[in-house]
Amino acid sequence: MRVLSCLLLLAVVFVGTGRADDAFREVAPLVRKYCVACHEGKDANGGVDLAAVLELDRVDSAWETWESVVDRLESRAMPPADEPQPTDAERKRIVGWYRDLVESVEPRPAVHRPRRLAVHEYRNTLASVLGFDLEVAVIEAEQTLAERSLVVKLMPTDPPGRSGFKNDTHANPLTTVVWDQYNHLAHAGVEELFSPRRRDALEALAGSLDDGLDSAAAARILRTFARRTRRRPVPHEEFDRLVARIDGKQGEALEAALRLELKALLVSSKFVYRGLLVEGEPGARQPVDRYELAERLSYFLWSDMPDERLLDRAASGELGKPEVLRAEIDRMLTDPRARNLAEHLGVEWFSLDEIEHVSNNPPQMLAYKSQPVDFLHHLFTENRPLLELVDANVAFVNPHTRGHYGADAKRMKPYRKQKGIEVEAVPNQRIVLEATTERGGLLTMPGVLAMNKGPIQRGVWILERVLGDELPEPPPDVGQVPGSSPGKKLTFRERFELHRSKPSCAVCHDRIDPLGFAMESYGGRGEFLRGSQNDTTGRLPTGERFDDARGLKRILVTTRREDVIRNVVRRTLSYALCRRLELHDRPTVEAIVKDLNESNGTWRDLFVAVAESVPFQETILSEE
Amino acid sequence: MPLRLQRRAFLRGTGALLPLPLLNLMERPARAAEAERPPLRFVTLFKPNGVHPPSWNVSGGTENDFRMSPLMKPFERHRDDVLILDNMGDWGFSSHASSTRRFLSGHHENKRSASTDQLIADRIQGDTPHRSLELTTEGLFPNQVGCSYISYDATGAPIPRESDPQLIFDRLFRSPHADPRRRAELTSVLDRVRDDAKSLARRAGSEDRRTLDEYLEVVRTSEKRLANIAATPPRHDLATFERPGSGGTLDDQVEAMLELVELALWTDQTRCITYMLGNSNSRMIFDFLGIREQHHYLSHFFRNFSRSNLESLLKISLWHMEKFDSLLTRLKSRREGDRTLLDNTVVLYGSGMGHSDNHTVTRIPVVLAGGKDHLKTGRYVRYAENQELGRLHLSLLQMFGIDLDSFARSKEPLPGLDGSDYEPYREPAFESWVKVEGNVITVRGRIRMSDDLDEARVFLVDVDDRPPVRVEVGFGDFHRFNLAYHCGTAVTLTGTGDTGDRKVIRKVTKIESLFGKAPGTLNG
Repeated sequence: MRVLSCLLLLAVVFVGTGRADDAFREVAPLVRKYCVACHEGKDANGGVDLAAVLELDRVDSAWETWESVVDRLESRAMPPADEPQPTDAERKRIVGWYRDLVESVEPRPAVHRPRRLAVHEYRNTLASVLGFDLEVAVIEAEQTLAERSLVVKLMPTDPPGRSGFKNDTHANPLTTVVWDQYNHLAHAGVEELFSPRRRDALEALAGSLDDGLDSAAAARILRTFARRTRRRPVPHEEFDRLVARIDGKQGEALEAALRLELKALLVSSKFVYRGLLVEGEPGARQPVDRYELAERLSYFLWSDMPDERLLDRAASGELGKPEVLRAEIDRMLTDPRARNLAEHLGVEWFSLDEIEHVSNNPPQMLAYKSQPVDFLHHLFTENRPLLELVDANVAFVNPHTRGHYGADAKRMKPYRKQKGIEVEAVPNQRIVLEATTERGGLLTMPGVLAMNKGPIQRGVWILERVLGDELPEPPPDVGQVPGSSPGKKLTFRERFELHRSKPSCAVCHDRIDPLGFAMESYGGRGEFLRGSQNDTTGRLPTGERFDDARGLKRILVTTRREDVIRNVVRRTLSYALCRRLELHDRPTVEAIVKDLNESNGTWRDLFVAVAESVPFQETILSEE
Repeated sequence: MPLRLQRRAFLRGTGALLPLPLLNLMERPARAAEAERPPLRFVTLFKPNGVHPPSWNVSGGTENDFRMSPLMKPFERHRDDVLILDNMGDWGFSSHASSTRRFLSGHHENKRSASTDQLIADRIQGDTPHRSLELTTEGLFPNQVGCSYISYDATGAPIPRESDPQLIFDRLFRSPHADPRRRAELTSVLDRVRDDAKSLARRAGSEDRRTLDEYLEVVRTSEKRLANIAATPPRHDLATFERPGSGGTLDDQVEAMLELVELALWTDQTRCITYMLGNSNSRMIFDFLGIREQHHYLSHFFRNFSRSNLESLLKISLWHMEKFDSLLTRLKSRREGDRTLLDNTVVLYGSGMGHSDNHTVTRIPVVLAGGKDHLKTGRYVRYAENQELGRLHLSLLQMFGIDLDSFARSKEPLPGLDGSDYEPYREPAFESWVKVEGNVITVRGRIRMSDDLDEARVFLVDVDDRPPVRVEVGFGDFHRFNLAYHCGTAVTLTGTGDTGDRKVIRKVTKIESLFGKAPGTLNG
């Protein structure tokens, strides 16, 4: 109960200011008057039920809704043109109330909640503990697909959490199915560890085993293994308890007892959850303990447990020093494990798994999918400016995708297929884009264009994934875009514009359509339609006009750059914290946005800023 | 029986794709007192990418007096236990995917029905812990998924295959249900993690406690399930079975799998298994045989002809035959009363297509083995004209007590498998001859491919008491007249070419089958 009071107390910090209270009393009737008629109850338009959040103590938990209310009021996207409009003064009053309110919010950490490792984190961590990956026995011939990781094969796929990321496992309960797989994997992992082909991994835990496994070696294995599975040192009394269980045993009995203990460590709550061992004072806001900081950092940048060096830095307390933290981030970004950033932050953010549906032929599909992943890996780990996400002069290309890169692909190292190989997956080469001005950046990559079918999907994707806008569900009764009527030759764009001419459609489609139709010079497989007559011109609701995708990209990195950067910061912070952002994270986001916008910051700068931020560095531990 | 139903419902609810190594907790009545006859089992072994016909076909010979072909040598020692069928398949050409569907479903368009093995599994599963196993060695080929499946469920949907011998071993023999040692170990693990979590809970905040409660609840459930497992002594001491190793070559993996097939049948874990040695268009590279080209590339031996390519292809095919030999040897090595496990198992071995370059689906390799009460083995049965696989499937279904009026498009079972009369289907005697008019040669005789590996593109028409007429044509004629379809059968062939003592047809103008139908031209 004390947690609750503690939270309430924090909430009151901002809502308790009498000014906001008074202002809200004026604002609520306006919202009721202009908005609630359409936005109430289960059938609220777009699923946005404003009536339900129209109380001062609901603003905190529904801040994202309020954020978009204010945004749409300000840009005059709402109320729809055919509905009664608030006066300018009334608009201003609502917007002003919200701005005052959120600007009074102080940054603070969230209450600490343990979470189960996501499947990919569990896979990586298990491999780090054992010293090898658990692999599935299957022949992966060219053009076939097989899941190589035993963990990924056996575990149910994680649903994305409320943050949109799979590492947000808070709503993903431990079930008996998962539990059985944990036990099976622990069994398989430990049996494999004791197999002759894993002698090196076992000796990495035990030291030399030339004289066989004696009780001293067994104790060494147990200590290292326990430290790795806990991701922090093992207290003496706990270690003594562990060793007592294998004490006095020899030969096969010793080995059997040791295997049992190792299996138990691999299904222990301390291993499968993150954050059960965090230390500190219950109920208080405080910096996270040093091992938790190391774990936060390694699961953020690597999706894996801290390595020995990071644990050392944590043990010595040095990780608390900003220069050490930065040096560690730089080191970690050059480590192969940093590939996980692109594979998870990148893939989940930009829904790149969708590219898997673009082709049934694995080498072709992998070519399309590896392009954006390699590109994001390059941005993330080579200190590239944030906005190169939208436009950049490098691309990652292989023989399957080279056709999209014209003269620029000529500089690639030639590829020669070995005799007797029909089609094979080939790694990408980095090329510099000079002639192919229609490419560059994530938006115009063939796989990304191909995974989004048609201009509307493409527009929604850019709006949500790049600009960070949140769109409600389309109403259920929109129907089909009518075909061409006889005698009239209308383009899809013209027919679509007729179809969505109602003011209530315009609310969203004014934002979506210009973005999507800008991409109409690219075909369904992502190919550039040179000389196409498709109308790619457009005007954003904010007024900027452009001719085509290049023009749009220029706008995204100039007048709309702050929106792009804000989205980048929010997504990255949310991923790093493994949770949805809350109102009290807003000041952290805004400070980082301001800083990176002014300094034209890089991805590395962003990762540092996230790691140094209040919600990352601090925590509030719940009370009993 | 209600518990079995529960288990099925559960599998469906949690995604049948998941192997559930620890969940075989359903009750099984003790079978200690089972003194009756051992059950009849069904095993299918599927060979990818067809064959090089001259190396596979039995050319000439009679039912009981025949010479096994070069590719059959690896299992020659099982001659008395095999029944070699010739002229099985369909008409025309076939995609890899269609030929794979046909293999156990009778016809490539039979897409709404369970495959033969699944119908049999339904009938014979009895109270075995595992209704059936569907095994493979190669990954999924998503470009034509049909290439990856021979087993289909009652709706005609492909059944996921398992490739990992360790996973299957653990599922069969190291589940807490099957293995008392594993059960004891798991009980100790649960003791430890429960105590561990409880000690954490003593000092936990409310958020941590919520997490630990969830964890402890699952541990408790797991303890209850373990306690519920009836301690019936297993018939076989499963603890002595050695867990297969990981890593190793393709050969190691396949041998491990074949051992599992043997053990699973012998211990009655299941009675029905299908095993694909690879996808029907397998792209595997047999590096452990010293081969660097993909199997599929090599299988197109007419187009990609070279002596070394062909030799590589034959090496791969011989290896497939060795695996068939290994399966038979293993099944024979297990005694069941006064018989062997093989005697109580009907084995179907074969491939989806015959000629692997032009994908002819007639004269596909089909060999039956074992099944002492149902098959008259030690014979070579050549049907006069091509027989649909659906007829074979009807016969197999009958052996397992399933009487269907029809399967796929076939209405009659295939005669002759159990030694019964197949006279109407037997190839009659015929006269062979050769005639020359101008530069036109007409020849009647049995057409076969040259067995000289240096001339794998050359066909020969055998004529009694004379040298054979050679047919040396390009891919165009080879494919258009579908010489591979006719291969091994009696034909009348007309063409132009060298009319001297050594007759060579270089351009085919006409080919007619003496007994069989004309080849189809449709792809299917």
